[in-house]
Amino acid sequence: MLEHGAVAPQLFNGLVLGAFYAIVAIGLSLIMNLTGTINMAHGSFMTLAGYLAYAMVSRGTSFWFALLVAPIIALIVAVVIERTLIRRLYGRDPVYSLLLTFGLSLIAEGIYHKVFTANSVPFSPPPALAGTVALGFMNFPAYRLFIVFVLVVVFVLLALFLNYTRFGLRLRAAVQDTEMITALGTNTQVLYAINFGLGILLAGIAGVLASGLLGLNPTSGNTLLMPAFVTVIICGMGSLYGSLVGGLLIGVAQSLMTLFIPPASEVVMYVLMAVVLTIRPRGLFGEEGVFG
Amino acid sequence: MTRGRIATIAVVVLLAFEPVLSPFIHVDVTIASAALLFAIAAMSANLLLGYTGLPPFGNAAFFGLGAYGAALSLKYWHVEFATAAVLGTALAVLGALVLGPFLLRRRGIYFGLLSIAFGQVFYFIAYRFTDVTGGEDGMNFSRPFLLVPSLRLRETAFYYLALVVFVAAILAFEAIVRSPFGKTLIAIKQNELRVRYLGLDSNRFVFVAIVISAAFAGLSGALTGMLNNSVGPLMLDWHQSGDFVLSTILGGSGTIWGPLVGSIIFVVGRDIISSYTQEGWQIILGALFVACVIFFPRGILGTALQLFAAKRHG
Repeated sequence: MLEHGAVAPQLFNGLVLGAFYAIVAIGLSLIMNLTGTINMAHGSFMTLAGYLAYAMVSRGTSFWFALLVAPIIALIVAVVIERTLIRRLYGRDPVYSLLLTFGLSLIAEGIYHKVFTANSVPFSPPPALAGTVALGFMNFPAYRLFIVFVLVVVFVLLALFLNYTRFGLRLRAAVQDTEMITALGTNTQVLYAINFGLGILLAGIAGVLASGLLGLNPTSGNTLLMPAFVTVIICGMGSLYGSLVGGLLIGVAQSLMTLFIPPASEVVMYVLMAVVLTIRPRGLFGEEGVFG
Repeated sequence: MTRGRIATIAVVVLLAFEPVLSPFIHVDVTIASAALLFAIAAMSANLLLGYTGLPPFGNAAFFGLGAYGAALSLKYWHVEFATAAVLGTALAVLGALVLGPFLLRRRGIYFGLLSIAFGQVFYFIAYRFTDVTGGEDGMNFSRPFLLVPSLRLRETAFYYLALVVFVAAILAFEAIVRSPFGKTLIAIKQNELRVRYLGLDSNRFVFVAIVISAAFAGLSGALTGMLNNSVGPLMLDWHQSGDFVLSTILGGSGTIWGPLVGSIIFVVGRDIISSYTQEGWQIILGALFVACVIFFPRGILGTALQLFAAKRHG
């Protein structure tokens, strides 16, 4: 018999999980929209930020500092890789950049294995976020509330950045017509690099936060990658808010399914995906013509 | 006899001597069998990637369905070798008939995403439904006899069986890509819109290509499972699909023999390097992906054929 009180926390857990999916999916689709690159190494960058934060915290730095700095280091690594390797494949068949980033993720996993072994390393949130918070109708872990808070802030900042800055404007224009914006004098190579870095910054923040919640091992980032892919497919390309709604939808669907039919919790998002593709092939919020 | 035919026969004769040469070239017969079977799966990726222009990152699902189909029919029905192989292949084809209509919905990178995502469904099914599939551990079994109980397949016999199946597969593959159907696939790769304007339902061709591809992958999976006497969920994982695509590109996608070249390098290389270091193999494999994509996008055979053609013309 199902306890009635179990549904509300589980719904909330689903929203937390969904917020992760959304942030990762937004990073993926930023990169995919502009350059047609499916970044299979996205999960490895999340793990990278996680390990960096772990290394900092275990050497005595504060969690807050690590949360800020680790994603930025991941961003720098990402831009270097984008400039030296991924850049060469723009304009070629997307299968090549997919294979390249797949190769990068294998290299990264191999290195993580060597440095940190295959076992999970202990990475727990700081004491200030350890307890639970009474929400009136239920008690909820403080760290999860903190995650929601950070991800909301990140999302708002991103929306402001894309909609109200000159750079965001150029980015959105480049997605629609790269040739035109080049002709108007924008250096698209700089756009590509910053855009890639931005996607990885989001992944890095999610990676550090997720490490404290879901654990940290060489492949932990990849567990968030597949739901993020499905989010991108369900929502379609080119919609920030679409990814948010889709991510939350999948997170909640998964969490509730864990309550009712546990073995089906992973499969439920694929069922959702199949249904959406049948009814609306371009995705729920996809614009017609963007990536067919 | 054409030049191509002579080359084909030469390669097959060379492959037939592998068990004799094995002590000298230090390639175990079992590894050689694995390479041939791997090549059949890589051919299945090649049909979609090299001839239809679709990035197939879900072919491990069909490969794994073939393996699990064979393993389950051994577990529940105690069938012999050939029946298990046929049933495994049939399960893979069934999987393609179910997934095909969804995969068809998109082209280009979206097809890649869809194939990764839908392929993972079977991974989770195998992983989760422990009672039937053995979950994370997979299933172990002893190799069944072939047709009659007295016909036991030891390693060398298995190699010749794999060689026969491989030759049949590559001849079938050659016939498919040279047929009007195969030409239509190539036309879809080059310009699908034009194919549609010519009055052909391109979706139907892509669907059939996916089903044929699944049959090749399923056959390979069923035989690979019975070569190792075990199956596991990693056979269904998208990393496995990536390995097939890499081998195809390494050898030369869009060429008939490319997947064999890539598969031999991949399987033999993996065997040699991973006997020293497991993480080392992963790093080298990753570097191979990167190098192959940046320096050899046409693959080894593709580059060789191009040089050869350039020389002849000029």
